[in-house]
Amino acid sequence: MTTERKPKSIADGGHSEIKSNEALVVGGGVAGMQAALDIANQGFKVTLLEKSPSIGGVMAQIDKTFPTLDCSACILTPKLSEVSRHPNIDLLTYSEIKSVAGATGDFRVRVHRHSRYVDEDKCSGCGDCIAVCPVEVPNKFDGNLGFRKAIYTPFPQATPNVVTVDKKGEPACRATCPAEVNAQGFVTMMRHGKFDEALEIVRRSIPFPGVLGRVCISFCEAECERGMLDESISIRNLHRFLADYERANGAPAVEAKIDKKDRVAVIGGGPGGISCAYHLARRGYPVTIFEKHEKAGGMLRYSIPEYRLPREILDEEIQRVVDMGVKIKTKTTISSIHDLFEKGFKAIFVATGAWESNRLGIHGEDSEGVVHAIKFLENVNSGKRVSVGEQVVVVGGGDAAIDSARVAMRLGAKEVTLVYRRSHVEIPAIPSEVEDAKEEGIKFMLLTNPVEILTSKGHVTGVRCVRMRLGEPDHSGRRRPVPIPNSEFTMAVDEIIVAVGQSADPRGVQNELDCSEWATVKADQVTLATNIPGVFVGGDVFTGPQTVVKAVGHGKNAAESIDRYIQGIDLMEGRAKDRHRVQSYEVDKENIPFESRMTMSKQGLSSRKRAFTEVELGFNEAAAIAEAERCLGCAVCCECERCVEACTREAIDHSLHDEVLDLHVGAIVLATGYKLFDVREYPQYGYGKIPNVITAMEYERLMNAAGPTHGHLVRLSDGKIPHSIGFVQCVGARDVQKGVPFCSRICCMYGTKLATMSKEHHPDADVTVYYADLRAFGKGFEEFYEMSRTRFGVNYVRGRVGEIMHDKKDDKVIVRFEDTETGELKNVPHDLVIISPGVQPPEGLDDLAVELNMSLNEEGYVSIHDAVLTPVDTDVSGVFVAGCADGPKDIPDSVSAGSAAAMRASIVLAKIDREE
Amino acid sequence: MANDDVKDKQVINHMPSSSFAKEVEQEFGGEGIMKCIQCGMCTASCMVASMTDRYRPRQLIQKILIGKREEVLTSDLPWLCMTCRLCEERCQEDVNLSEIFHAVREIATREGYVPKSFQNTVDKVLEDGWLLNDAYTDFIEDDRDDLGLDIDLDWNNEFVKRVKKRYIDGGKK
Repeated sequence: MTTERKPKSIADGGHSEIKSNEALVVGGGVAGMQAALDIANQGFKVTLLEKSPSIGGVMAQIDKTFPTLDCSACILTPKLSEVSRHPNIDLLTYSEIKSVAGATGDFRVRVHRHSRYVDEDKCSGCGDCIAVCPVEVPNKFDGNLGFRKAIYTPFPQATPNVVTVDKKGEPACRATCPAEVNAQGFVTMMRHGKFDEALEIVRRSIPFPGVLGRVCISFCEAECERGMLDESISIRNLHRFLADYERANGAPAVEAKIDKKDRVAVIGGGPGGISCAYHLARRGYPVTIFEKHEKAGGMLRYSIPEYRLPREILDEEIQRVVDMGVKIKTKTTISSIHDLFEKGFKAIFVATGAWESNRLGIHGEDSEGVVHAIKFLENVNSGKRVSVGEQVVVVGGGDAAIDSARVAMRLGAKEVTLVYRRSHVEIPAIPSEVEDAKEEGIKFMLLTNPVEILTSKGHVTGVRCVRMRLGEPDHSGRRRPVPIPNSEFTMAVDEIIVAVGQSADPRGVQNELDCSEWATVKADQVTLATNIPGVFVGGDVFTGPQTVVKAVGHGKNAAESIDRYIQGIDLMEGRAKDRHRVQSYEVDKENIPFESRMTMSKQGLSSRKRAFTEVELGFNEAAAIAEAERCLGCAVCCECERCVEACTREAIDHSLHDEVLDLHVGAIVLATGYKLFDVREYPQYGYGKIPNVITAMEYERLMNAAGPTHGHLVRLSDGKIPHSIGFVQCVGARDVQKGVPFCSRICCMYGTKLATMSKEHHPDADVTVYYADLRAFGKGFEEFYEMSRTRFGVNYVRGRVGEIMHDKKDDKVIVRFEDTETGELKNVPHDLVIISPGVQPPEGLDDLAVELNMSLNEEGYVSIHDAVLTPVDTDVSGVFVAGCADGPKDIPDSVSAGSAAAMRASIVLAKIDREE
Repeated sequence: MANDDVKDKQVINHMPSSSFAKEVEQEFGGEGIMKCIQCGMCTASCMVASMTDRYRPRQLIQKILIGKREEVLTSDLPWLCMTCRLCEERCQEDVNLSEIFHAVREIATREGYVPKSFQNTVDKVLEDGWLLNDAYTDFIEDDRDDLGLDIDLDWNNEFVKRVKKRYIDGGKK
């Protein structure tokens, strides 16, 4: 979600025709910083826009500068603080240009400001939050060599000195869950073995980690991004493990914290009602649940068989809710909603469920031996003695049908057959339950529909069925079954269990509200408000028969609505689901090995077939951690909110969102920088495949004192000191075939610099640079090269490298080249090989060019109006260019261009000043 | 020829050039010769070079560029390229080496420099219609017969005779 801010000039009441004497500098690298400072020091206001969380650009990543071998950070850091303290510079980091309109003197720029989820005014950059963050991702600033947390500052001198939360949005698992359980959050905590914290995250959304850990349909697993790769994470079983772990290790006692006065009534003690009461109790409301059965739990207790959900689990989790201060009045039927208001309840949540079994509507349905699933399961689950026939047929394909079939098997039926009118693809029951039922010997007769129940003396003797085929898809998206003519057949049975759906009681208490023709209540989808103010509805009585987790989700949403209703806040505000859902392409799935999900251990077939003890036995600790390790962490930040707890200045707010703001400026300086060529396009060099073949930027970070090895020059594969280092030059530069025919200007010198620095780190190492031409063209460059060759003893070999091979036996990297001075073809082993990639235009420059109506040259750089006389003017008046945006440059040239562009821009601004 | 080279260098002195290089450039397939910057990528990629020290594609191109006409045309080196084109795949200047060597072979053939082994191969085909006539024995004939295949394999002899008659022996029908 994004909010919009009005531009300053319009907000101040200014007229839109007035020209602006402010400047915009795009890109906070060293060139952009120089341009911003130079304009600001002439008295004009400047906005410095930077895409990443900190200004500093590539220079901040570099270890040393050439040809003087000065510390890059030492030169840059004073500039960083100068920019951040300058009264005329407005720093906009983590922001991107969305659109540009207008002409010189009057540019309208729309900026998208990514949220850091941190209040920049409050954050002091202390880093307390970074220590507690459980998420680790490759550190982009260190060339992906090391790791950083999801909350981070890119480097110690980052400017502005505030932390940034790297959050792509809402992960698929959480977005899909009706109860919004933060699956990525608790799974991340489980990776670190922090099971108590993980359970706390689950309990933020649901009171039933153990119950839903057993019976949830787990929509999350269907959408899990890992499923696109191999198999989805076993999210349901993981939160079941958390509940089991807590039971085994003793749960801390729950304390009731009811501090509010307004009483709330909940009608129906099923999953929806208990969930609502739980969330209200968390907020401090006194809640009373009215339940008509002997015990609370609703369908969880009276429909789901014990072998799937042991009753002590359910009892304990309900008891926790009671311990929180919720009153449950069982065996109490509510006959009027209005009476509850009169008794002093301020708000009411109706979740009475759908307890009426649907009828088949065929002849013989009322005869002896035909039972309906809900009644059948209720009888079994309330402890009544139930006997079944020998030949049992279950009609239907939902969870109730599978449950009934497996219960009938356990009650002693000889043969249980499940008759379902569609195929195995459309069967709506949980797939693992279907598998278990098949294993237990239940017969599945698919694409079959009963047409008549045959009776003799009022008792069932058989069922007449017809075969079906699948026709066109119906409104539910499933293919509609069509009977095949003349395919009727008869089966001999002595009991039929009908499980073809449920519906709400048409005479139920919800009839006081505005209801649909199916006796379900009409209400708002988000707020769950009914036509009577203060009455909210959820669960099956709202949606018709659905799944447990939806009812639990309704309970949660209703609690939010009731809280708002009692406080008198608008019910709807800010609740529409508009968070960005992390898309599949945004998740990095490269280099992840195939790994199947953990299999759930189950009770043996022979012992479970006739018993009601639990079938699934749960994960052990090692299995749970291993399964949690498979999570891809789609959204990066998992919103565990440990950082929020750690922050003493209350600076972190995960509910912040992106902003759009409009700028009005007179001149624009583009200092968008460059990107390095992706050396993976040279498969012969084995980058990414051969360990110890790295790029120059990675090497730069490897040698840097603030880098992943704290400045120790070692091989990343084994931590050994490299005794022989090779540099491969001209990769992704001067290559006609790869579309980069131009010379990148800086590679020869940074290669020489890195080779020299290698010698400084390890003077005994053998360092060789492989080149085609060595271009030491600038002031002091030739001397620098000579010094590297003679004083430091770096070998320079003329010959481009044909290929790089891996000697696995000695763990060496072999470089194959022709020494063109001798004509010898050589294979030279090195411990470490550094590829020096060329420079390319940055990503997004083409989009920016379209916005500015500016042309780019063939290579993709900004084209210059006149390369000799106006080297920083683009072909759009009022837009200037600095740094590498118009072609590769080294640091001094970039800074000069920054100053030049600043001067050209200030001329434009000064003219505007004079006109006014 | 040496004089010609000097003259050419005075005209285009920023690229290595010789009359032979220009001759190759004029030949079909040899157009890319002038793009070479002698970086050695081709040799480092070459399969043949990895097997023998004699053959170095970069040095061969170099000899063409500096105009060693006689040496190149009389040598069997241009004939050793096996046209796998790995050098062309990797060449950063987009030089099409195997095409250039093909052009050089064209020139050499026109001037009668064909290495003995290549000449023998061609002669053999012209004579027998195919290359493996000497190796073809009645054992193979029996094997083919057992497999139900045609035992008569010199069907293209007639075709080769016609080609020979039309293109080599005077060109009359």
